[in-house]
Amino acid sequence: MADRPKKKFIVTRFDPETDEVPKTQEYEIPVEPDWKVLDALNFIKDEIDGTLSHRWSCRMAVCGSCGMMVDGEPKLTCKEALSQYGDTVEVSPLSNFPIIRDLVVDLDGFMDKFQAVKPWIIRAKERAVEEGPMRQSPEELEEFKQFSMCINCMLCYSACPVVANEPDFLGPAAIALGHRYNVDSRDEGADARNEVFRGEGTVFSCSFANECSEVCPKHVDPAAAVNQAKFNAVIDWAKGLVLPRGGKE
Amino acid sequence: MRAAIAAVEADPDASVALVSKVYPMRSHTVSAEGGAAAVARDDDNFEMHGYDTVKGSDFLGDQDVIQYFVQEAPKELTRLEHWGCPWSRNDDGTVATRAFGGMSTKRTWYAADKVGFHMLHSLFQHSMQFDRIVRYDEQFVTKLLIENGTCRGVSALDVREGVVRVILGRAVILATGGAGKIFPFTTNGTIKTGDGMALAYRAGVPLKDMEFVQYHPTGLPGTGILITEATRGEGGHLKNSKGERFLVDYDYGVGTKAELGPRDMISRAIIQEIEAGRGIDGPYGQYVHLDLTHLGEEKINKRLPMVRELAKIYIGVDPVHEPIPIRPVVHYMMGGVDTDVTAATELPGLYAAGEVASASLNGANRLGSNSLTECLVFGAEAGRNAITFAKGSSDGEEGPLRAQGEEEAARVEALRGKKKGGERLAHIRHALNDTMESGCGVYREQESMDATARTVAELKGRYADIGLEDSSKVFNTELTAAMELGAMLDVAEALVNSAAQRKESRGAHTRKDAPTRDDQNWLHHTLCYFDPAGPRIDKKEVNLGKWVPEERKY
Amino acid sequence: MSRPAHPHAMQPKRPGRTRTAPPQLPPQFPMSGRYRAYTLFDWTGLIYLLLGFMALEIVWAVGSGPAAWAAITARFENPVYIAFHILAFVSVIFVGVRFFRFFPKSQPPRIGPVKPPPQPVILAGLYAAWIGVTAVFAFILSGGLSG
Repeated sequence: MADRPKKKFIVTRFDPETDEVPKTQEYEIPVEPDWKVLDALNFIKDEIDGTLSHRWSCRMAVCGSCGMMVDGEPKLTCKEALSQYGDTVEVSPLSNFPIIRDLVVDLDGFMDKFQAVKPWIIRAKERAVEEGPMRQSPEELEEFKQFSMCINCMLCYSACPVVANEPDFLGPAAIALGHRYNVDSRDEGADARNEVFRGEGTVFSCSFANECSEVCPKHVDPAAAVNQAKFNAVIDWAKGLVLPRGGKE
Repeated sequence: MRAAIAAVEADPDASVALVSKVYPMRSHTVSAEGGAAAVARDDDNFEMHGYDTVKGSDFLGDQDVIQYFVQEAPKELTRLEHWGCPWSRNDDGTVATRAFGGMSTKRTWYAADKVGFHMLHSLFQHSMQFDRIVRYDEQFVTKLLIENGTCRGVSALDVREGVVRVILGRAVILATGGAGKIFPFTTNGTIKTGDGMALAYRAGVPLKDMEFVQYHPTGLPGTGILITEATRGEGGHLKNSKGERFLVDYDYGVGTKAELGPRDMISRAIIQEIEAGRGIDGPYGQYVHLDLTHLGEEKINKRLPMVRELAKIYIGVDPVHEPIPIRPVVHYMMGGVDTDVTAATELPGLYAAGEVASASLNGANRLGSNSLTECLVFGAEAGRNAITFAKGSSDGEEGPLRAQGEEEAARVEALRGKKKGGERLAHIRHALNDTMESGCGVYREQESMDATARTVAELKGRYADIGLEDSSKVFNTELTAAMELGAMLDVAEALVNSAAQRKESRGAHTRKDAPTRDDQNWLHHTLCYFDPAGPRIDKKEVNLGKWVPEERKY
Repeated sequence: MSRPAHPHAMQPKRPGRTRTAPPQLPPQFPMSGRYRAYTLFDWTGLIYLLLGFMALEIVWAVGSGPAAWAAITARFENPVYIAFHILAFVSVIFVGVRFFRFFPKSQPPRIGPVKPPPQPVILAGLYAAWIGVTAVFAFILSGGLSG
C-alpha cells in the first residue's frame, strides 16, 4: 500500500468526565478510493485512536445508527463516498441533539416523541388470527408505504430549524410515522393521533422548510407527511365540531 | 421483541425487561431483504413446507420442531399483518408470495425487498404500547447469573454510564443473533458477534451444530453486503465469465431448480466455477455475475428497489443495465444454543430463540425465508414458556446473585483501559477473520481446520494480553468491542472444534477429504461444551419423524 | 464550531444519566446552503406586515376625503416607496413559487373517497388562479371599472 492518498479528518471529541465543552481532534490517515466516510472512522478507531466513540452497525444504510454531520451536513456515514469530499473532512455529531460522547448523541428525546404518536395499529376490536390477514389493495398500500420506510436515522431532526428552536415539536420522523398509521387502511386510530398532532408537539409548528425531505436518505419525504398531517388534523377537528366522535370516518 | 409481546399477552401481571446493546430498531434483522415463509396458497400445505425444510436441512433438522414450525408459521405472519406489517399484496388484496430457494412452491411472504426492516419496525412499534415491556437500551449483557442451578438474570454494562448492574428476572430469553463477524466477508453487521452464544457457552450450556455456517451465494465482493435471494426468486440468472448460466449448463445437483436451488449447493457451485477458471477478476478477488437485466426496469423498481439502490451505492452498478458482481459470503449460523421445540435450553430458566438458538429447525442448511418466521414462531414460544416457568418459579436468593454481579463489575473495570501498549484489538480480530476464512470456508479439510483450531486457541491467549487505550466510563466503545471480541473467540472455538470432528459432508459443512454424507455414522447433532482445558464434544440424537433421510437431489 | 440551538432541543423527558454537551444548530443555518432561501422566505413576513399597514392607510384615506387621498397618491411617486413595492413584488413571486412547489405534496392521498388530481394539474390550477386573480385586481385598481 505504498502510495495511498491521505485525508485529514477533523473530528469532534467530548468526554463529559474530562471535557468542559466539546473540542476537535485532527487525524491524518491513508484512504482507499472506494471507502465511505464510516470506513475512515473505523480505521481511525482500529489503528490510530481507540478512544473514538461512534455508533454504526449494518453499513448498508438500513439500520440508521451512523448518522453524523459531515462537512456541516447530516449524512449516513456508511452511505457517503469519501471521494466526494476534499482533503479535509469535518465529522461532528448530529446537530440539534444533546451530545453524550464524541460522535454519539442522546436519542431518548426522539424515543419519547416516537412513542407519543402511538405508532401501532389501533382498532376498535382486535382481529382474530383465525380470520386471516386483512385485505389491503396495492393502491391502499402505496398510500402509506413511502412513509413506512423511515429508518429512524434522525438526519431530518438534525436539519429541521423548528426542532432546533422548539423543544416540544414532535419533529419530522415522528409525525411521518403517526401519519403512516393514520393513512393505513387497516388502522382506526386517527382520532387519537390527530389529538396528539394538535397537542403540545403541534404539527402546526412546521413552517415547511423542507430540509427534512432534502436530507432523508430513504426518500420518505417527511415534509409531505407533516403537511398532509396538518391538513388531516384540521379536517378531523372540523368534523369533530359537526359530527359525533367514535368509529372510523 | 416477539417473546416480550407473547409474555405480556399471556399474563396480565407479567413484566418483561427488553435488554439490548443497541436500540431495538438497529438489530440486524433490519437488513433482511427477501421474505418470510409460511403456507399461504391453496396449492400448498404443511406437509410440503415441512418436507422442503427437512430436505433443505440435509435431514439433520429435528422433525418435531419442523412440524410445529410449519403449523405456527401462517399464524405468526398473520398476527404481524394485524400489527401493521406492510406485506406486498396481490391485486385482490390478499398477501402476495414469491418463489424462494429450495421451496417447492411460492410461500414466501414479502414486503418489496425490505422484509426484515418492515417486520422489525412493525414488531417494535407494536411493542411500544405495552407499559409492562420495559426497555433497557444500550446495555451490554456480560454474564448470565445462575443461582441454585437456575438462570435468574443477567449482569449488564450500561454503555452510557459505564456501570455494571444486575437485572434480575425469573427467566431469561436469549435472542441475540448469530456471529458472522468472526468471518471477514459477511452480510452481517458489526453487532453480530455471538454475544448470546458465548454467554450460554460460558454458563455451561452446550452449543449445537456450530460447524454449519451458511454462505449466502449472492453477496457483494469486498463489503459482503447482502443481495437478496429474491433476485433469483424473481428470475435473476447466475452467469460465469463466459456468460453461461452455469447452474443450468453444468451439473451442480440443483437440477431444474437452477438458481432456486438451496443456498449451500449454489455457494459451492459458485466457488467451483471460480476454481475452474470461469470467474471474473475484481479488486476483492474473483466473482460471478447476477444478471437481472432481463427483468426490466419496472419489475426491478417494484419488487427489488433496495437491491437497485444497494448495487448503485456500494458497487457502482445499475442492475437494470448491468449484471451485479457477487460471491458467496457468510450469512447465517445454523448452529447455536441447544434448545428443543419449547425454546428451552438445558439450563432451567434459560430460553433461546432465533439465530442464536439451534432447535434445530435448520439442521445442516437453512432454506431462505425460514429464519424470519423462525424468529416469530420460537420467539413467541419462548415468551409463553418463559412466563409459565416464571410463574412456577421463585425469585431466588438475591445475595449470591448480587455477589456475582459485583464480581462481574470488577472484571469489567479491570478490562477498561487495560494496558496501554498491548496488542490492538483490531489486529486480533483480523487474525481471527483470516484463520476462520482459511479453515472454515465453503470447502474444508482436516489439516486447515486443525490449524485454525490451534490459531484460535493462540488468539485467546493473545486476547488475554490486549492493550486498550480508552479508560473512560461514558460510552466506551472500545470496552464493548473488547467484550465482543472475547465472545467471538469463544464462538470461533466452538465452531472450529465442532467442524474438525465431523468427518462427513452434510449441508453447509463440505469437506474435500470426506465429500459424501454418512448417515450411518454421522446422523446426529454435534454438541460443544466449554471447558478451560479445551472444548468437549458430545452428540445428540436427531428427532427423526415421518421423513426418512434420502439422497438430497433437486 | 456551531452555535447552540435551544438548550432543551431533543431533550428526553427523563433526565439524561450522564452530563451531555448542549445541542448545536445545523452549521449552515440560517444563511448558508438551502437554509438561506428558507430564512428569506420567513423574513418576507415583515414585508407583508408593512404592506398590510399601508393597505389599511390607503383604505382610511379613501374614506377620509380627497385631501387625504391626494396626500397618499403623492407618496406613490417617492422612489423609496417604489423600490419597496418592487421588493415586495419580487418577494411575493418568490414566496408564491416556493409555496406552489411544495403545495402538491401537502395534499393527503385521499379525503374519504376523493383523490387529489395529479400534481401537474394542481400546479397548473394554482398558477392559473394566481395570474387570474392578479389580472382582475390590476384591472380594477387601474381604473378599468370606472368607465
